[in-house]
Parts: sequence; C-alpha cells; structure tokens
Amino acid sequence: MAMAEKFDSLEEHLEKFVENIRQLGIIVSDFQPSSQAGLNQKLNFMVTGLQDIDKCRQQLHDISVPLEVFEYIDQGRNPQLYTKECLERALAKNEQVKGKIDTMKKFKSLLIQELTKVFPEDMAKYKAIRGEDPPP
Amino acid sequence: MENFSALFGGAEPPPPAAAAALGFGPAKAAGPGVGPPPAAAAPPPGEDAARKAAAAGPFYLLRELPGTTELTGSTNLITHYNLEHAYNKFCGKKVKEKLSNFLPDLPGMIDLPGSHDNSSLRSLIEKPPICGSSFTPLTGTMLTGFRLHAGPLPEQCRLMHIQPPKKKNKHKHKQSRTQDPVPPETPSDSDHKKKKKKKEEDPERKRKKKEKKKKKNRHSPEHPGVGSSQASSSSSLR
Repeated sequence: MAMAEKFDSLEEHLEKFVENIRQLGIIVSDFQPSSQAGLNQKLNFMVTGLQDIDKCRQQLHDISVPLEVFEYIDQGRNPQLYTKECLERALAKNEQVKGKIDTMKKFKSLLIQELTKVFPEDMAKYKAIRGEDPPP
Repeated sequence: MENFSALFGGAEPPPPAAAAALGFGPAKAAGPGVGPPPAAAAPPPGEDAARKAAAAGPFYLLRELPGTTELTGSTNLITHYNLEHAYNKFCGKKVKEKLSNFLPDLPGMIDLPGSHDNSSLRSLIEKPPICGSSFTPLTGTMLTGFRLHAGPLPEQCRLMHIQPPKKKNKHKHKQSRTQDPVPPETPSDSDHKKKKKKKEEDPERKRKKKEKKKKKNRHSPEHPGVGSSQASSSSSLR
C-alpha cells in the first residue's frame, strides 16, 4: 500500500503541474495586458510544481523503469503494450523451456531404460547412487 | 561392457602415460592402483560431490542433480509470481495502441513521435538539460522577462489546443470541469458536424425525388421506364 501512496502523490503533483501548464497555455494563446499578474502567478506555480515533483524523487529512488518503455512513449504508443509484450514473451519462453525440460526428462528415462537392458549391473549401481527417478 | 566403462569411467585409474600426456598426475610411472585418477589429481573447485560419488561406485564426473525445489522453466512462472491478473488484464483483451488512450487527460497531440517536436524522453536521458540542482522561484525582475504582447498567438504556435479527434467526449467533460476559455475547434470536429448535417438532409431529398418520380409517371404513363432511368442517372450525377 505504501508503494501505491508514493505513486499517488507523484501522480497528483504531475496532474496539478499539467493542469497549470494547460491554463498557462490558454492565457498565453490570447494574451491580454490585464492577465499579466495571472501569468506571473502561473509561472511561479510552475516552479513550485517542479519543486514538488522533485521532492517525490526521494520516495521513488528504489523504482527502476525499463528503458524500452521510453521507446514506446516516444513513438506515441501505449506503454501498456510493452507490459503486454513482456508477459507474452515470458510465457512463450516459459513454454519453450518447459518443452525442453520435459523432452530431456523423457530422453533420460528412455536412456536409463535401454542402458538397463544392455548393462544391468552397472545400471543397478548407478541407480543405487542416484536413486529411482520419478517418471517424467 | 567395455564401451560403457569407457564412457562412465572404470574403477581402476587410467594408464599413467595418458595422465602424464594430459599434464595431470605424477611424472614418474606408477604401478596400477598407486596413482590417483586424473580427476582427483587436479580437481576443479566444487567437484567434491562428484568425487564422493565416484568413490561410491564405478562412475566419476557425476554431478549432483538439481534440487527439485529449484525454480525452473518447467513451472508456470506467471502463476508462480501471481501475475495471472496482470496477464489477463493486458493479454486477455485488446490494449489500445495510442499513447492518448493511456493518458486521455493530457492536453496536446501526444500521439506524434517525440522526435517530431524534439520532445522525446530518450533525448532527455541522452542529453540532459544544463541546469542547476534546485528550482528557485522567479523574482520580480526575472518576471519582467515574461511580459507579453497582447493578442492571439499565430496558428502554428497553438499546439496545446490541438487534440486527437477521438477525444470529443472527454473534451466536453473538460470544459464543464474547468471554466476556462474554450479552445478553438479542430478542423476534424467541424468536418464531422458537416457530414452529420448532410446525413440528416439525405432522407428529405430522397422523399422529394420519389414524389417527383411519381408525378412524372402519372404524367407519362406510356414511358415509365425512361423517366425512372433519367431520374436514377441524374441522382447518380449528384
């Protein structure tokens, strides 16, 4: 929960900052001399906003972000696609490795089976050391 | 039997000549059973278990089997790390492609590539901006640098107001939330409205055409096919 609170705080500060910038953009887009005081206020809000975001850094020093995510954001793509692709890749690799392990287990049991037929004495000694393997 | 012993190693040590040729074992020729086996002469670190196993039987170079408790790819790692929820969330349904779908409330055209307007995060990491370590508020004299001329910005500078077209509903929501000046409409929005108007007019036109056809048919009952074909050709031209 503490982790979520840290992110909430950063998110809140970022949202305030973005909103302040948006309002600043609106003031600037059709500037009136009377809005100079408002503009000055918004500019200093921007500085305090940056200070607040900078303070969040202390709480999030243990968070690491993969650089590949930035590639997605820079290309205007949803960064959740990165998470999706990571999970899909992990599952695919997991399945591949499982397939290899299962095949090797089958091979081992077949090899032991065949060796026992040809070298029964040696294999009895081998099994005495290793113990009986569970079937794959 | 001989082949198998050669594969797994025999109980007796290999001939010392071979060991000497490999650089292992004593230089002197030793009698059978005196010299240690080559594995024992120069044991690599962490091979104690193998040596113990070799002592127990006719085998050497036996390694300890990986423990059954060790985490391998044979277990479903997504379930192991309780990531089923994340997997179903991201892989179960289609994730929308655009960045604006992830950050719907962020103003500006954020779906454009960062290299387009030099706003990429990568460039921020590779070329960090040269600035001080702290943020200091702007003083009165510093703020004089931000005195602006009155009047609207040129069109090409109004990047903040351009929103992706699909955000129409959220746009309305924003306007109701903050009572700020309304940003100018994007061309895509106005086009959409025009199209709607056209669609609304279409049924009325059709009705009028039908009525015209009927009238023509009544006036010229001898050539109904000609009149209808003309009407259809004229409508296709429009």
